[in-house]
Amino acid sequence: MIKPENIKKYILPLTLIIVLSIMMVMGIVYIRSYMNQKAAAERVAQLEQISSQIKVNLEYGLDNQWSLVDSIIHYCEGKKFDGKDDVRKEIGEIQKLFALDNYGCRLMFLDSQGTVYIDEGTAGIWDDINQLADGEKRHTFVTETSNVEGIYMSFVQKLDTPISDGEDGIDITHVALLKDITELRKYYITEAYGGHAATYIIKSNGVQAFYDAEDDIIGVRNVFKALSQAEDVKGMSFDEIMQILEERGIVSANIKIDETEYYYCLASLKQFDIYLMLMIPAEYVATNTIKMMNSFVRIQVVFILALIILLVIAFMSFVVIQKRNQMMQIEKHNNMELNRLRIEAENARAEAELANKAKTSFLNNMSHDIRTPMNAIIGFTNIALKQDNKPEVSKCLKNISSSSEHLLTLINDVLDISRIESGKIKFSPVPVEISSVAKSVTGIIEGFLSNRKLEFKTDLKTPEYPFVMADVVRLREVLVNILGNAVKFTEDGGKICFSTEYLPGQDEESIVVRYVISDTGVGMTQEFVEHIFDEFTQEDNGARTKYKGTGLGMTITKSYVDLMGGTISVKSTKGKGSEFTVEIPMKKTDETVNIIRGEEGNNVKLDGVHILLAEDNDLNAEIAVIQLEEAGIRVTRAFDGKDTVRTFSENSPGTFDVILMDIMMPDMSGYEATAAIRSMDNRPDGAEIPIIAMTANAFAEDVQASIDAGMDGHIAKPIDMNEVKKSISVNIDKDRKV
Amino acid sequence: MKKKRLLCLLLVSVMALSLLAGCGGEDKESDGKQKVTVALWGSQLLENYSQFLCDEFPDVDFEFTLATNSTDYYRFMNDHDDLPDIMTVRRFSMNDAGLIKDMMYDLGDTELAATFYGTYLENYTYDDGTVNWLPACADVDSLIINETLFNEYGIPIPNDYESFVYACKEFEKNGIQGFTSDFSADYTCMEVLQGFSIAELQSMEGREWRNKYESHLTDQLSKEVWVPAFEKFFDVMEVSGIDVKETEMVNMDAKEMYNQGKVAMYRGTGTDVIEYAGREGDKSMLMPYFGETENDNWYLSYPSFQVGASKKAMEDPEREQLIIDIMEAMLSEEGQSCISYGKNMIPYNKGVNLELLPELDNIKPYIEDNKMYIRLASSEMFSISQNVVQRIIKGEIATPEEAFKEFNKLMKEEDEEEAKTVTIDKAVSNDFTEEHGNMAASAVFNTVLAESGVDLVFGQSCYVSSDIYEGDYTEKDLGYLTNNDTGWPAIAKISGKQLKELVAYTLEHKNTRGAVSNDSTLYVSAGFEMDISRTDDGYKLNKLTVNGKEMKDDAQYSVLICSDYDLYTMQALEKIGCTDYNNDDGPFEKYIYKRIVEDGGQLEEPSDYMTIK
Repeated sequence: MIKPENIKKYILPLTLIIVLSIMMVMGIVYIRSYMNQKAAAERVAQLEQISSQIKVNLEYGLDNQWSLVDSIIHYCEGKKFDGKDDVRKEIGEIQKLFALDNYGCRLMFLDSQGTVYIDEGTAGIWDDINQLADGEKRHTFVTETSNVEGIYMSFVQKLDTPISDGEDGIDITHVALLKDITELRKYYITEAYGGHAATYIIKSNGVQAFYDAEDDIIGVRNVFKALSQAEDVKGMSFDEIMQILEERGIVSANIKIDETEYYYCLASLKQFDIYLMLMIPAEYVATNTIKMMNSFVRIQVVFILALIILLVIAFMSFVVIQKRNQMMQIEKHNNMELNRLRIEAENARAEAELANKAKTSFLNNMSHDIRTPMNAIIGFTNIALKQDNKPEVSKCLKNISSSSEHLLTLINDVLDISRIESGKIKFSPVPVEISSVAKSVTGIIEGFLSNRKLEFKTDLKTPEYPFVMADVVRLREVLVNILGNAVKFTEDGGKICFSTEYLPGQDEESIVVRYVISDTGVGMTQEFVEHIFDEFTQEDNGARTKYKGTGLGMTITKSYVDLMGGTISVKSTKGKGSEFTVEIPMKKTDETVNIIRGEEGNNVKLDGVHILLAEDNDLNAEIAVIQLEEAGIRVTRAFDGKDTVRTFSENSPGTFDVILMDIMMPDMSGYEATAAIRSMDNRPDGAEIPIIAMTANAFAEDVQASIDAGMDGHIAKPIDMNEVKKSISVNIDKDRKV
Repeated sequence: MKKKRLLCLLLVSVMALSLLAGCGGEDKESDGKQKVTVALWGSQLLENYSQFLCDEFPDVDFEFTLATNSTDYYRFMNDHDDLPDIMTVRRFSMNDAGLIKDMMYDLGDTELAATFYGTYLENYTYDDGTVNWLPACADVDSLIINETLFNEYGIPIPNDYESFVYACKEFEKNGIQGFTSDFSADYTCMEVLQGFSIAELQSMEGREWRNKYESHLTDQLSKEVWVPAFEKFFDVMEVSGIDVKETEMVNMDAKEMYNQGKVAMYRGTGTDVIEYAGREGDKSMLMPYFGETENDNWYLSYPSFQVGASKKAMEDPEREQLIIDIMEAMLSEEGQSCISYGKNMIPYNKGVNLELLPELDNIKPYIEDNKMYIRLASSEMFSISQNVVQRIIKGEIATPEEAFKEFNKLMKEEDEEEAKTVTIDKAVSNDFTEEHGNMAASAVFNTVLAESGVDLVFGQSCYVSSDIYEGDYTEKDLGYLTNNDTGWPAIAKISGKQLKELVAYTLEHKNTRGAVSNDSTLYVSAGFEMDISRTDDGYKLNKLTVNGKEMKDDAQYSVLICSDYDLYTMQALEKIGCTDYNNDDGPFEKYIYKRIVEDGGQLEEPSDYMTIK
């Protein structure tokens, strides 16, 4: 699309080209018109030249006849006729004497009433007698009468003195020489137009007297009327033509009759009271000149057309160059725009990243900052429960413990969904012995069932290939979530089934693990099933109070399954129970990590184990110390990262069996402290001592970050002593196990 | 109730309009017939000619009117933008016809013109080559000689003027007038004056003068040519005993004298030589006007009429062709043979052969020798000839020189434009309609009825020559309202029964003067009504009524009959056994003049005089 401002650039050259083209076309038209005019003028000039010559010839021919008439009259002077018969004989004699037959002539006398006398006798009153009644002495006209057969040019002279015959009373008043009209052809005929010229002899009133041509082009009696009514090509009216004829005695013009153009030349033979007209189809007039002119015009037209084409090409080139420049301008502009957009995008991305970081930081902080007091609440509640309390106190403590657990679950769910939405959660597969996941989940669920009367049936197959890459944290959360719901939504006396199955994967390198969890619980309507993975969806409003939950669980579950590339499907019947099937594809692997593997914490003997506890929060430290010491563990507390590094370095190797490392600590974080310990030059044991993160940073990436920082395990706060013990036992010497 | 009545009225109105529209659909205009108006110069063309055209063009609705016999009638019609499509004119000169030249169609380049001999066509060609008029065959108008009478008295048939004079003198000795003519009419005065001097008029001097006169180069007679002509007339008058009584004679008077053997020679036409050939058994012949020598004998002739067409009528090419076709038929051999007897005419166009009757045998050599003088027939020639010749006969002009001077004096007198003297308040159309007949004719004949004092009027509608135009008329123009060229009307006393027979005869009779060839030539009644029906070949009478009541057979009426007195009315009255009739004392237009000019009144209202089925 050419912009309006660019159009302006074309206006001047385009206008110039258009103007030039118009001028050239007008030039062609003008030249053509000029040439046509010239051609017409040439034709007219040629025609007039020829006509003038014919006129002169004809005048000469007619004058000759008049000379003959004069001679005859001279011969007749003083003659007397003795009756009609004598007149007849005398006419015959004169004809012979003047050899009139040889010239196609015959002699005729007229008496005062117009009686015709010829060599054959009398022939009545001459039909054309009235033509002599205008008082003129001489008359020249074409005659075709009943008196004398044939068409003649008549030359009639009134005698000054009639030739009288006293006896019969005959008065010969006129002598007429009748010349066969065809004998005059030699005077008016022309070969100039290849025999295409028609010759007309016209009376003074415009009426055709005679024509000599193959066809009568005019075709009507009144020639002047026909000429005046014919389409005039030259632009002159017939009145103007007649005026010129009157002034010059000769005039030419061109007309169209029945779509054919003709040139005609009118010549006035005034002394004979007749007009001569030559009429020729235009195509035969001045043909060579016309051909030459036409060729000239053709060459000019070709030349000008070529010039116009060149101009158009020049203009097109100009347009192309202009367009190219314009395109370059556009490209440059686009590049600048793209650059601007890229910068803006980068800025936006940076801002987004910043925002994301801020959000992550916020979430982390929230997670950490909420979990930290939660750790204290749950920890101290558990501690209190272990005291000998009055039954009312124990009940209260149990309620606190239960509510705290619930609150923790809510917090975890809210944080999880926020992280999912912010894209923070990543799929983080790690090598794992896959059957251990189901087992660990079974263990967790059995804990949920401790005070419930539910039948929990498992059918855990042994995989053919045990080691796979799996995001254990997510997978476990998925399964625990589903199984937890089964426990929640199944009334006592019901049954929960959990089975695993290992199916072939997409290829040799992968398998699909299918988990099926079914229950005989409350079930769901089909309508609800369709929305089960939507956020905050619970079938019955009452469920929130009865079964406790945020309505985010299944949303998180579905998100995790999707994250892992798996599928989850639900079949449920209201009042009869539900069945969830989860299928997760997993890559086979040889490596394993022992994050989950291990025995139950309860079975671990940790007596005498010396732990360096890095914990800046005094309450948390107190809870941890109490709980660890309850398990027979000796605890040395460090107050922050630096203190941890320093304590480790100040104590001899082997002093500590494990370091439980808080992450978010003032001055030096748990990660930095771990790095410092791992990299101590003079303490090779620093690289080997198990360091387990024990932090309120409970997210999966936090787990990964801990491992990345060189730690060997990760325990989330609020701490579950079973988890703690399990993790410690996994990382310390096997000999210390029971 | 009121609404219902209005609804009924509306329905009735709609039905009435529908019926009217239906009736309109049956009129002639929508029959697919093209209407062509033809002005006929005289009633003789109603005899066969109009019927010929109707038969030849059955798809044309001809409207015939009887025009007066001069081009000035067409000047009058042109003044009212009402030129007929086809015009015929008897009295013609290029000079007079030039008045309407621009309104006339140029026939010069038509095939019709090409059928005419060049010489004749030349006579009708204007200076610019235009040809507006073409001549129909020539009537010959010369001397009818009773050969039997000549033989009875042993007087040689004349062959030149001298022998003519001799014959006159010899007959005079026997109590028989040698030669006569009626001199009450203008044309007879003019023809006799010119006829006996044709040799002079056809001399080169005579032709040169005529050429100048017809070219408007002179408005005076040539002394050289015309004084001898007047001398000759004086001489003829003297030798033939023509006196005042001849100035009062009408056309039939001379014929009756001839038929009674009271005159040996009279001026007459090729028709007259057949119809008025002397006493029973006499043999007559048409001889030329005699000149000094036999070589100077000429027949006087003139075209029976000239035909022209209105330029306006030719604007539509289809109509132009139709009108050309009609004119070609008019001037065809068949057409021209329907003029007069068809055997007493000389054609001007090629390929037309009209057989001549034996009575006209002696014309043939004159035709071959071109010795057929065409009368000089400008309007003034008629009127001035009448004036001068009558005065010569009456002795008011004593010498040829005086006659010559008087003639020239009259020619010099410029026609003063006649003042408009009367005004007609209401226009009435001359068109024939099935509903009302010819309303203009009805108005005219109703006026004649009112003014003439008769009980009834019966006249042919085409004698009313034009529409009645609203506005001023000169007396001369008022004359163009009616044609009065065919004799004065008859007033007859007849019974109701006879009138029925007269009307029935008129409707059914063909090929006579006064015949009805189509609607436009039907008769009009005033004072009574006609109920007629169309038949396969014309019309028939059903009944006559007076004021709507059937006419009683025994009722007696005085009836004024307007038609050709000599050639129709008398025969028709004889046919019905009526003998009590007489010629009125003037043309019927006198009643119109009386009403409008003398009394300053208006024409009567037209009446529904006819029911046609």
